[in-house]
Amino acid sequence: MFLQLTLSGVSQGAIYALIALSLTVVYRSTTIVSFGHGDFVMAGAFLTYVLVVAIGIAFLPASLIAIVAMFLLGVAFSRGLIGPIRGGPHVGLALMSISFGFTLRGIARTVWGREVLPMPRVFDIDPIFIGSVVITGDALFIISIVAVLLVVFFTVLHFTDIGKMVQAVYQSERGARLIGIDVERFHNFSWGLGAALGAVAGVLIAPISLLHPDLGASFLIKGFAAMTLGGFGSLAGAVLGGLLLGVAEQYSGAYIDTTLIDITAYLLIIAVLLIRPRGLFGRKVVVKV
Amino acid sequence: MKFKPKKLGLLVGLALAATGSAAADETTGLTDDSIKIGVMGPFSGNASSYSKAEIGLMAFYQMINDEGGINGRKIVAVQEDTGCDPAKALAAAKKLIHQDEVFMLHGNSCSGAAVAIKPEIVDAGLPWIVAHAVSDTISVPPVENIFHGVPTGNTNGEAMAAFVLSKPDTKKVAIVEHSNDWAHSYSNPARAYLKGHGIEPVAELVMERGQTDATAQVLKLRQANPDFIIGALYEAETAIFLRDMKKYGLDTPVMGTAGTDLENTLKRVGDLDTVKNYFVLHPYVDNLDGPLMKKWADMIHKYYPDEELTNFSYISIGSGVALVEALKAAGPDLTRSKVMAELDKIENLDTGILSSTITWSPEEHRGAKSSAVAGFVDGQPTVLKAWNTPY
Amino acid sequence: MQTSTGTLSKRRRIFWLVPLIALALPLLTNPYTQFIANAMLIYTLVTLGFSVVIGNLGQLAFANTAFFGIGAYASAIASTNLGLPWLATVPLAGLAGAFGGFLASAAALRGIRLYYLAIVTMAFGELMRWFYTHTGVLTGGTDGLPVSRERDFGLALTSDTVQFYVFLIITCLLVAGTVNLLRSRIGRAIIAVRENEIATASLGIPTSQIIVTAFMWSGFIVGIAGAMFALHTGRVFPESFGLTQLIVNFAMVLVGGLGSVAGAVLGAVALTALPEYVRAFPGMEEIFFGVIVMVVLLVMPKGLASLLARVSPIFQQRYHRD
Repeated sequence: MFLQLTLSGVSQGAIYALIALSLTVVYRSTTIVSFGHGDFVMAGAFLTYVLVVAIGIAFLPASLIAIVAMFLLGVAFSRGLIGPIRGGPHVGLALMSISFGFTLRGIARTVWGREVLPMPRVFDIDPIFIGSVVITGDALFIISIVAVLLVVFFTVLHFTDIGKMVQAVYQSERGARLIGIDVERFHNFSWGLGAALGAVAGVLIAPISLLHPDLGASFLIKGFAAMTLGGFGSLAGAVLGGLLLGVAEQYSGAYIDTTLIDITAYLLIIAVLLIRPRGLFGRKVVVKV
Repeated sequence: MKFKPKKLGLLVGLALAATGSAAADETTGLTDDSIKIGVMGPFSGNASSYSKAEIGLMAFYQMINDEGGINGRKIVAVQEDTGCDPAKALAAAKKLIHQDEVFMLHGNSCSGAAVAIKPEIVDAGLPWIVAHAVSDTISVPPVENIFHGVPTGNTNGEAMAAFVLSKPDTKKVAIVEHSNDWAHSYSNPARAYLKGHGIEPVAELVMERGQTDATAQVLKLRQANPDFIIGALYEAETAIFLRDMKKYGLDTPVMGTAGTDLENTLKRVGDLDTVKNYFVLHPYVDNLDGPLMKKWADMIHKYYPDEELTNFSYISIGSGVALVEALKAAGPDLTRSKVMAELDKIENLDTGILSSTITWSPEEHRGAKSSAVAGFVDGQPTVLKAWNTPY
Repeated sequence: MQTSTGTLSKRRRIFWLVPLIALALPLLTNPYTQFIANAMLIYTLVTLGFSVVIGNLGQLAFANTAFFGIGAYASAIASTNLGLPWLATVPLAGLAGAFGGFLASAAALRGIRLYYLAIVTMAFGELMRWFYTHTGVLTGGTDGLPVSRERDFGLALTSDTVQFYVFLIITCLLVAGTVNLLRSRIGRAIIAVRENEIATASLGIPTSQIIVTAFMWSGFIVGIAGAMFALHTGRVFPESFGLTQLIVNFAMVLVGGLGSVAGAVLGAVALTALPEYVRAFPGMEEIFFGVIVMVVLLVMPKGLASLLARVSPIFQQRYHRD
């Protein structure tokens, strides 16, 4: 049972990791946490559904189109709605992302409101049995896609010129401006990338779960918890935090009580606050007065 | 100095309150050719799939109107959104009663919202037929003006538990449910029924709304090894739960609520093998795609061509049939009291859609007292009376 | 400067006209519109309390829904389990809310700021909701907990009109209290913490105490609003205090005008009325709500209060940075 729970936790956690990573990408470059991100995840899944079911495109190209579309939506959101109020208080920025997400959810609900939609099965890979442990095709699919994405992401970040540029902006926006980096464009790009990564999570979760407009809401909280656990603002921490959260949910549900699954994320957030506010990998986030 | 205005306000307030509001008018909401009926439902929010029930009811009203109405009057339905939220439902009820001035109320999904508005409606005294929410506390103890037109939680829970026990040698029963009033309205009466038969659940688990994985629950169930599982889960979570059971090789039969149906669950899950041991409460005379239900499906599609039909779509229509009977019997000189008196006279009414007949009396306002079960027999959804016993 | 603000604050007495005019409101309402008007008073307090923390103190703390729920449940529990009349539960709800504020301030005192604080306090609210759901013995669980509307001290609280006058008195007292608090030395210190915490501390002002005070005052008034909400709906359910409630409260503060008392009133009134006007378009509510808030943020970043300030300087908030 332990192995099975761990495996299932890693598979769930991979999704959380992706969402936490997408939140962190936006946060590191713009210092804004996107409270509407859950709805980006939902929108990515819905777009894929529309392309697959209504238009009849195959799953793979459909999901790619959806991810690109979500990238563009993220850029548009950044340019049109975040840009104009950038200098304002963070409360306004937080509410802007909430309202945008709310609107996306409202659109999803007016179009598909009262239905719970199944995504057609994509990869009917037969489950693999190792002893008593079952590895399903879905788990395999999710874990490998996320692993590949992470490898690409961190390779680009650490070993390419673009990655070095990104790190430069992370360290000092003013410095980056001085050496001629277009920081506004970088912000827009980050929102786009964040939305696209969120959409990937949506595409991955859609075949397992079903589609409904509230799909994203719970994932946002999981993303937050993963970010907090990993250390607010740490990219690698977000990934590790997501995996740990996924596994922790399974353990607390199976070994303690199933009512705890839903609040594991919240309990972790509070526990991190009490024990180690900077999280596992966080830089100093604590203000000392 | 500053507080003077408030004292004054208090006095004005007390004076106003003392005058009280006018007594409920017997013919409010009536004209010579129309009856205004308020229909509340969760048209928004995360329980909006329930509002299919109110859509079905609206279609039924339109059919009645197209057939010439009742005693020369057509039904004018005023829809109000409750969002399944008590505060919002209360505002909706007050709006319908005091601003739109409807003759009566009909509808309501969501027990929590219905329980919250009950005192308001008792005070107002207009007839209210509850056409979807199941909590028994809405109509027990009976109130003069509140009628329950669907099988209630007790009936449902007992029907579920009775079906579970009708499978030979059922000794160990497990329960998995959401932590909300909807799930409890099924599971608590089922628990009570099981207890009455000397059975304590071997496992009581929770799967919250929005969860996309049921590994922990399924593995715990595998350890508890029950003979039957009672699952009070919404549509999406039901599908996820059944898939995960299949994944981990658990093929225990599962008894679901009227919140899901076989046809759509099969569609969501994708393969028959996963749902072949799934049973649901089925309050209707036939399978959803059976011949006796076709007429109702056609009716809804006539007025709402794009509506996807689920178990919810039909649930309010039976009480609509009963209402039309009562309105006809009350004659052209309609009053609220006459309608309530006629509703109280309805006895063993076969609605042609609910498997249970409807009987109301001044002592008992829960009209529908039984519910059948449906399960897959040879791959076909089949209405059942008991384990392996077709209806 | 001194004299001009002096005359301004004298002229501010004009604000007492608002509740005076409101006294006549029940003459124009039916029970439905009265119910909505009552909700406006409740949300005025909710918004005001939230605004003290996120506007005046400048902390991105999202525990407001938690305070609201704690107050509502404190009132309902005292009413059901202790048999207290509703009016007697009001101060208890305020104290319970203040205690919630104290707990939330602990996070801020740990040095947590901005979004991190937002997430931690949000978690606090959701954990409270889990608690209401799973401690059925005390809270009635998912069936909700009724609040007795028996006659209190001669007041027929079942009547929406009587509720309105009671709510109006409570709201006026707490709004006046908040205005006075914000104008006091403590209030100026609260603003100072927002503007520059370290500099404030270096002046010898005990910033921790200031933060705790602001949170507790916020919790106190929102807790009382919770008790009012409990009476208003007659029954409290865990679902009423979820994330949607939080988002609505948040929008009220921003649409009204961050850190402005007049804004809190305006935001609460406007966004309580809005859903009622879009009732005719069921399911569109989320879109309406989202779009309106986005538009306000873009074209009127200081909220509705800034419109008033343009009309007359008496609406300028002295403690609001322009």
